[in-house]
Amino acid sequence: MDEPADASVGADERTDEELPEEHTSDPEAYTTDTRTLDPRVRWLWVGRAVVVALVLGVASAAAGRALAPDQLWIGPAVFVVATALGTAHALLLYRSWSYEVREDSLFLDRGVITRVRTVVPYVRVQHIDTSRGPLERAMGLSSLVVYTAGSRGADVTIPGIRPWEADDLQTRLKALAIESEGEDAV
Amino acid sequence: MQLDPLSVPYRAVEGGLQVVVGIAVAGIAGAGSIGGIEGVAVFGVLVVLGIGLSLGWQVAYYQRFEYRTTPDTFDIDSGVLSRRAREIPYGRIQNVDIRQNVIQRALDIAEVRLETAGGGQTEARLRYVSRADAEQIQETVSRRKRDESEIPEQETTERGEKLFELDGRELIVLGIVSMDLRLLSILAVPASIVGPSMFTELAPATATIAVLVVGLIGLVVASAVVSAAIAMTRYYGFVLTDRGEEYRYERGLLQRFSGSIPKNKVQTITLAENVIARRLGYASLSIETAGYAGGSQDGSGSQSAIPIAQRAHAIELAGQIEDFEDLAFERPPKRARERYAARYGIVLAILVAAAYAVVQLTSLSAPWYLLVGGVVLIPPAAHLKWRNRGYRLEDDYVITRNGFWSRRITIVPVYRIQTLVTAETVFQRRRDLATLVVDTAGTYSLVGDDAQAVDIDVAVADRLREELTADLQEAIVEYRNQRGHSGPVGDGSGPINSASDLTDG
Repeated sequence: MDEPADASVGADERTDEELPEEHTSDPEAYTTDTRTLDPRVRWLWVGRAVVVALVLGVASAAAGRALAPDQLWIGPAVFVVATALGTAHALLLYRSWSYEVREDSLFLDRGVITRVRTVVPYVRVQHIDTSRGPLERAMGLSSLVVYTAGSRGADVTIPGIRPWEADDLQTRLKALAIESEGEDAV
Repeated sequence: MQLDPLSVPYRAVEGGLQVVVGIAVAGIAGAGSIGGIEGVAVFGVLVVLGIGLSLGWQVAYYQRFEYRTTPDTFDIDSGVLSRRAREIPYGRIQNVDIRQNVIQRALDIAEVRLETAGGGQTEARLRYVSRADAEQIQETVSRRKRDESEIPEQETTERGEKLFELDGRELIVLGIVSMDLRLLSILAVPASIVGPSMFTELAPATATIAVLVVGLIGLVVASAVVSAAIAMTRYYGFVLTDRGEEYRYERGLLQRFSGSIPKNKVQTITLAENVIARRLGYASLSIETAGYAGGSQDGSGSQSAIPIAQRAHAIELAGQIEDFEDLAFERPPKRARERYAARYGIVLAILVAAAYAVVQLTSLSAPWYLLVGGVVLIPPAAHLKWRNRGYRLEDDYVITRNGFWSRRITIVPVYRIQTLVTAETVFQRRRDLATLVVDTAGTYSLVGDDAQAVDIDVAVADRLREELTADLQEAIVEYRNQRGHSGPVGDGSGPINSASDLTDG
């Protein structure tokens, strides 16, 4: 990547690319290296998987009671399997996620079963949101949503980043989108 | 200006009919419980009351509905109880449609719809204005847009140059090509209700199978004929004209439909040719703009530029709309074909297993193993699927081709690209394949028909994604210069730009 060489990456802190103090027209000032999500998003996703597994387990237990009353193991078994699958998926998804603010586009790479790589050119950005649901707030996480006028993936979400990182990204993308001098985006 | 006064009775009857149906149900129930002549009287009173209320409401609606054309915007003030004032800048209007059904044509009134790219539904619906007013609105909007975009006036094209007219022969081809068995499922519902009782009454026990077969064939034929007839009435008398800044088309036997497609709002164009059309050497052409909301209204997401024409003619017209070079495609690598064979093999295995299970678990006895014979179909099916895929990269265009049963060639100008996505499923990764999705703001994509280069080599997909991103930047600059704008907003559809255009002129 064409980052300045002095952009030192700390051992545990991700404060590599400082935002410029003032607005500048140099797009390179706003780019980042390839970044990953915050590790605690794993717990959010694992938690979600467990809740889904619980619902599935209860549903299949109820169905099992109705159809085969003596097979009491069905519910718990479904729960255990679904939890295992969901947890594995959550962990793999976390490992697969990365994003990068490039000079002319935002690049996202993620997916376990289907690996999806998306390029969002800044000329096409309509608006940028940061959003924080109650669970995300409780865990100190935030999401960034980038909207385009496109029809598929009209809104591109980066989940599980720290709030200041989301704000920082929002500032970068905003500056880059303005810099790109988009026309009427349709 | 106000709506046409005739819209009041029309809307009253239209709205009243719904009310009447509702009341009729209640009324019949009420009449039934009261019984006799009194019951009928109660029913009658309710119906009259319903129509009266509806008429009153429509008069108020008519009184409170006003539209006008200002120099920069189209304004609508409407609403009986809650008022709404809406202003639509001309530059943002994507399409202007006029539609008239049979009754409306008898009354000489028409519905006008203005579409912009925003919002979840049609932005402005005028129900109903007189036919002359409707045409005047269409004309005014198109003239104001032209004034704004500052492109030299082309007076000669005022009446328009006829690009395409559907003749009788093509109409018949259209009917044949549009035969669609999807209607079968709709027709099958009443048939399954009425069928069995008729069956037991009419059929002698010996001829059951024959009757069944005849009935099925009848259903298929009926479905094909009905779908052909629908398509033929829809596109009867189709005419496409070029009016300088926009295309204008008219069509329809029972419901007259007239729409405008601004040239600078064209997102993608699609050349569709199903199996029958390919055999006959015909193709259809449609233009997508960003105006229509999700294709949810009447299922007419994109607009047919050419309902059906000789393939060469359709391609020539496509070339007039977008200046692409050729339609010679690069096919996906051959290993994609193996993937389709594997996929069909799995599907067949599941079918055979299911048939076997049914035979084993129920009292039905059928030669389930005959299904295994389907194996011979796998290689040709996989080959055809592979053969009909393809992609093509030009300087200014990305072109993709997909589908055997209904093949679609999608032509996307690079400067219309919104986002670029490559996706690899588990199965694709096994063979180092990927799908490149070229997303635009067109409407058709909402149904999942975007331009896709499916099953191309993963390295190629990655390279194309990056190349196209770079091309997009250049293409936008070029497009802007080409249109003779140097301002920061470019397009001529931007509000800032159009304001400065006005002061300049």
